[in-house]
Amino acid sequence: MEFKKNVWEQASHITDGCMGHEDAFCTAACPMHTDVKKYIAQIGKGDYEGALKTIREKLFLPNTLGRICAHPCETDCRRNTEFGQPLSVAGLKRFAAERADRKELWEDSVGEPTGKRVAVIGAGPAGAQAAIDLRKAGHEVVIYDKLHVVGGMMRVGIPEYRLPREVIDFEYSYLVDLGVEFKMGVEIGKDVTFSQLREDYDSVIVANGAHKGTIPPVPGKDAEGVFNAVDYLKDISLTHKFPKAGKKIAVIGGGDVAMDCARSSWRIGAEEVLLISLEELENLPASQEEIDESQEEDVQFINGWGTDEILKDKAGKVKGLRLKKVLSVFDENGRFAPQFSEETQEVKIDTVVFATGQQVEDITDGQLEQKGGGRYVTDPDTLATNLPDVFAAGDASGGAIVVQAMALGRKAAASADRFLKEKDLAEGRNFKLEYSFETRLDVPLPKGTENLPRTSGNHRSAKERKRDFKAFDLGYTDEQAQKEASRCLQCECKLCMTECLMMNDYGECPQDIFGEFLEKGEIDPIIPYSCNMCGGCTHVCPNDYKIGETFMGMRKDFILHNDGKSPMDGHKAIEVHQKLGFSKIFCTKVKGVK
Amino acid sequence: MGFMPGCSLPSYTPEGVKKTMEYLKQIYPDLGGVQKCCGKGTKALGQEEKFKERFAGLQKDIDDVGIETMIVACQNCYKTIKETSDHTDVESLWTLLPKIGLPEEVRGKAKDSDVVFGIHDSCSTRYEKEIQDGIRWIMSELGYRVEETEHSRENARCCGFGGMIVPANPDLATRVMKRRADDFESDHVVVYCAACRSSMMKVGKKAFHILDLLWGPVVYNEEPAPEDVLSSPAKSWINRYKSKHAVRQVVKA
Repeated sequence: MEFKKNVWEQASHITDGCMGHEDAFCTAACPMHTDVKKYIAQIGKGDYEGALKTIREKLFLPNTLGRICAHPCETDCRRNTEFGQPLSVAGLKRFAAERADRKELWEDSVGEPTGKRVAVIGAGPAGAQAAIDLRKAGHEVVIYDKLHVVGGMMRVGIPEYRLPREVIDFEYSYLVDLGVEFKMGVEIGKDVTFSQLREDYDSVIVANGAHKGTIPPVPGKDAEGVFNAVDYLKDISLTHKFPKAGKKIAVIGGGDVAMDCARSSWRIGAEEVLLISLEELENLPASQEEIDESQEEDVQFINGWGTDEILKDKAGKVKGLRLKKVLSVFDENGRFAPQFSEETQEVKIDTVVFATGQQVEDITDGQLEQKGGGRYVTDPDTLATNLPDVFAAGDASGGAIVVQAMALGRKAAASADRFLKEKDLAEGRNFKLEYSFETRLDVPLPKGTENLPRTSGNHRSAKERKRDFKAFDLGYTDEQAQKEASRCLQCECKLCMTECLMMNDYGECPQDIFGEFLEKGEIDPIIPYSCNMCGGCTHVCPNDYKIGETFMGMRKDFILHNDGKSPMDGHKAIEVHQKLGFSKIFCTKVKGVK
Repeated sequence: MGFMPGCSLPSYTPEGVKKTMEYLKQIYPDLGGVQKCCGKGTKALGQEEKFKERFAGLQKDIDDVGIETMIVACQNCYKTIKETSDHTDVESLWTLLPKIGLPEEVRGKAKDSDVVFGIHDSCSTRYEKEIQDGIRWIMSELGYRVEETEHSRENARCCGFGGMIVPANPDLATRVMKRRADDFESDHVVVYCAACRSSMMKVGKKAFHILDLLWGPVVYNEEPAPEDVLSSPAKSWINRYKSKHAVRQVVKA
């Protein structure tokens, strides 16, 4: 039967705007869209295994990310935007992994063999995620890495005290279970040419990371004792040593890598550690946790100063730094263009580590075009390069943090899979869902929400931890994890569904009910005829959707198509009832008299 | 000035209709009366044309007896006339009583009652604050104690009767009734719609129409609530017939 235009319009208005299925802030912010509120609720109920399984639906390294994820979910967490105290999402993820993760729970089925072979360059998070997805699609996958250990920058960039290496190895064993082959210690561009690789494989994923450290052009940069963060952290990661470093170390930079260099310096025996940044303390790009933990470990911060010159002794060794005061870091257009005043100061140090950016080294002999920072030029939606069989992911294509690298790895794998199956790279794909996005969710805080403080974890004392490489954070206890999980606001709309019993019988939210109507062009009359027309839904709807009115519009159309009668059998009695209500037997009109 | 009892109220309590009109007649000696359905049920089924026709019949009756302002005791009558009539003013009995006051003999009569009433507001007038205030004023004038709930006033939930769902989806209607009953801590609920009263009675609440409290005996915890008359069609129609005569009788007195 046909419904009038106004019914269609109202139904599509509600379907388009209903927030019932809109992702929570955390899930939308996560580039991998981990179902955060679900696993936090599971932890809250003590179902740690369920939580772990929920995490593993999206993430193959829950323990790793639980320790080192830069957690965009926490930035967007409602408890952060409202009260400045986000849920400790990462901490809870680690907790679930520590309590429940075991190999038997891993989903290691792979697709039917396709006969196609893919080479993945780089065993970091982007390469690993791409390898997993391609293997699951049934392709043969071989990962190449110039290092002899897996993990990429997680292994040689992120310090061991933040991420124990056995955690990486355990979680990466999943790839072996899936049948991914590893060729470690093989450098593409040197041991095997990129062209050869393209000949040997049907498709190539380039995820070689940004392993080239940089040193800005400051006077004295050729002095003995000047290093870049990449080499510094890599050597310390692999050997727990950096013999060329002295005892008074200055780290230049304000990001997480700078903090990692500073904190690692204590652990290789430094006596004094300075952290010198152009930005003032409150504007440091590093995460607040890393800043706090560095300060607890007595790293001396000199913020708002830039390097004027590296001072050398007669032998050409670093003996100090002359710093100049920063007036501003960015220009009016927000571009990096530091301005300095005449004011200077000198600090005595013997080692300088520049944590001021790192680049992607070309491994393709110029076959792929590069842009700023050595990133390969790609289509941002598909990560396709100028070579049809080659896709780039992770740092190589422009991700900044581990979980972004994974999302890019997944994206590149999805494109490679389409390429191998000779399908269009873009058709039918919802690119928005392949990375972080802004949720449309806009709801009032749940009734009675209080500002509860974030549950602090168990960090080893700074004095004890700063001289070894063992994990500094011991993780949550059961009690702490439960307490933290209980803070989750379980952000969702579905406010009408708490008011209306009837809609719960026919869907999870109005979007389901009206969406199905739009799709099928019809609706079982029991649905509109079960609405009490009480207006409770509209009363609580943040968008004031006229749900009852829409059902009423449908009722009117049913009547028109049913000879003026209700299609509900039970309503025959109402017809009689109404008829009597207007009959002379029961009606009267009487004029008032004085 | 005229009074219109509606449908469910005259089917429930001819006595309540009579006493209300007698009191109004004291204040407005030229009080007229109309007993007819406002057509809300027809409208709720979606019978747009039939509703127009039926409301026109009601409008004619109102005009025929020269009533310019209609006093109503049913929230659906209130809304229907307000939204549909282009020249008849409508006033709720529950906003009128605070203006004209209650008869001396009922004021404070329940000050010794041990009952605490939960207030079930009608969902159809969830945004009519003045009506809701009037109910609370009447309760306070009578001397009854009341409890507010999270779902009072504009947050009111349906009693389960609305939208003609009882005959269409009886199982759902019962669940809605139970859920509404669970909103109240007290066993006693005061309502100002006779259909709401019937719903609450069906799921075990001691439900009283506010007119029961106004004109009837003082209510104490131990006593039962009046019978759920509306559950019996025969009794309801007999009552409606009696109410019709009460309307005629009082107006002509």
